[in-house]
Amino acid sequence: MIRLSGIARTFLVGGEAVHALRAVDLSITPGEYLSIMGPSGSGKSTLLNIIGLLDRPDAGTYELDERNVTALSDNELARVRREKIGFVFQFFHLVPRLTALQNIELPMVLAGIDPAERKSRLARLLAEYGLEDRAGHRPDQLSGGQCQRVAIARAMSMGPTVILADEPTGNLDRHTGQEVLAVLERVHENGGTLVIVTHDPEIGGRAQRRLRMLDGAVVADEKG
Amino acid sequence: MRLADLLDFAWQVLRGSVSRTLLILLAMGIGVAAVVMVTALGEGARLYVANQFGSLGSNLVIVLPGRSETSGAMPGILIGKTPRDLTLEDALALKRSHAIRRFAPLIIGAGDVQAGARSRETPVLGSTSELMDIRHMEMAQGKFLPPGDPRHSQPVCVVGSKVASELFGSRPALGEWVRIGDRRFRVIGIMAKQGQSMGSNTDEIVIVPLAAAQALFNTESLFRILVEAKSREQIPYAQADVEEIIRLRHEGERDITVITQDAVLATFDRILNALTLTVGSIAAISLGVAGILIMNVMLIAVTQRRREIGLLKALGATGGQIRLVFFTEALLLALGGAAAGLVVGELGRNFAVQMYPEIPFQAPWWALIAAPATAIITAVLFTVAPARRAAKLDPVQALSRR
Repeated sequence: MIRLSGIARTFLVGGEAVHALRAVDLSITPGEYLSIMGPSGSGKSTLLNIIGLLDRPDAGTYELDERNVTALSDNELARVRREKIGFVFQFFHLVPRLTALQNIELPMVLAGIDPAERKSRLARLLAEYGLEDRAGHRPDQLSGGQCQRVAIARAMSMGPTVILADEPTGNLDRHTGQEVLAVLERVHENGGTLVIVTHDPEIGGRAQRRLRMLDGAVVADEKG
Repeated sequence: MRLADLLDFAWQVLRGSVSRTLLILLAMGIGVAAVVMVTALGEGARLYVANQFGSLGSNLVIVLPGRSETSGAMPGILIGKTPRDLTLEDALALKRSHAIRRFAPLIIGAGDVQAGARSRETPVLGSTSELMDIRHMEMAQGKFLPPGDPRHSQPVCVVGSKVASELFGSRPALGEWVRIGDRRFRVIGIMAKQGQSMGSNTDEIVIVPLAAAQALFNTESLFRILVEAKSREQIPYAQADVEEIIRLRHEGERDITVITQDAVLATFDRILNALTLTVGSIAAISLGVAGILIMNVMLIAVTQRRREIGLLKALGATGGQIRLVFFTEALLLALGGAAAGLVVGELGRNFAVQMYPEIPFQAPWWALIAAPATAIITAVLFTVAPARRAAKLDPVQALSRR
């Protein structure tokens, strides 16, 4: 359960205050499939970063699973992020020197999970995302679609409740984008919360709940 | 994060940029090797000097006539003057001391030594049979001066190996007669080759009994008395006894100088230790430079790996974990560099030993600990700033598309 109330975020750009978010109220129930659309600069990425605890709001409160996370320390935030949230980025953000397997393993390594447990989880993830024959390859030996599948597997490795995807298909051709989207939607079908930020109406339209943002405010919230 | 994973992660980074890693290892290694080799050189010189002093004799106390003092109203009158000669009777009086094992009075002069048609100008030493044991001399052939009352002498002499070969060539010298001044001496012994030892070369001297030297140089005055104390602990007592006995014989006048071998050696020891420490510290500066290199490389790494750091944060890494990753990397580099440096330093030391076998090159234990420790400490210290910068990186900006 995600509950934002009165969330505001202001950036200083060249000495001028830019209101990326102005008093956003938003509730997302577990298992929801939500898309956030809007022109660039409308604050959709900032909203996603705040939901993902990468950024802190200047005002307002954020409750994640009945817990106020606005007041947590950096280390506590890192722990919550590690356990509850999975990120998928437009540019994949795989570590180039590590193999696909090692990239998927990274969150579990950071969490200090037992190697035997990691191994069994990795085998399951590789099978689930069709990466078994790509496990030993480095990112530069993988196609864009494969990279994003690795990134999704990595995001899922800690069993998060919320998956946040920022333009996940923005760097892929149409066909591969559709494939990756289908993989992401499986997360939702399995009961996870999925939030996708996009400026592509075709992709955003597939979500059950569609948010439209403009100038740091939610201007439309459609369901069904 | 588990320790094994941390090490593995750092190892992947180091392996990912081989040339960078090798360059840092080289810098660190050169620093450590320099410290090890330079201190080995210094310590070798120190031991060499100590050995040289040891070859002079052990537990040695040297008595010189005259006392050099710069105090007093008119030092010019006192300096260099010997108010009272040091005589054989003074030396014999030393027998009273319980701290003294043996002693050898010494007279030195230059003499024209002739054997047949050949002649050579050499230093001639007048002494007693005890000299051999005090100076740890060894004979190649024959015997040293016979023991007996030093007031009387037999016409015998002992020659250095070089003197023997110059006077007699390949002919046997033992039993032959030589003429020194207007006296004749039978050669009863030839000294073994010893080479240079603290300025005196026993290969090039002739030793005659003390009484003969007194007559030859027409003097009663001794050049030195070499005194051997019974043990190292007895040296101060021997020194005090010598001063007291001779003061009483010289009507209460303290007109001799007593030098102990220990005091001279201790001075050399201090000087050479200070020297070793100084050059070692200068070499250690290169470790500081290597530390700065590590800092520079780490700062570049933080900039180059902004995205990776941002990603690690997004995946749930804490600031502490990010710092730890950088420290582990620096530590691995320092350990590798220190190990390489120790190996290279040891190789260099072996090379020096082969080049100059007579000098005991040996890095002192403190340098073997201090050099790697300095490498590791500088590496860690110089990583503090880059690691903090990495940990403070804002993940949103680090991951941003730009």
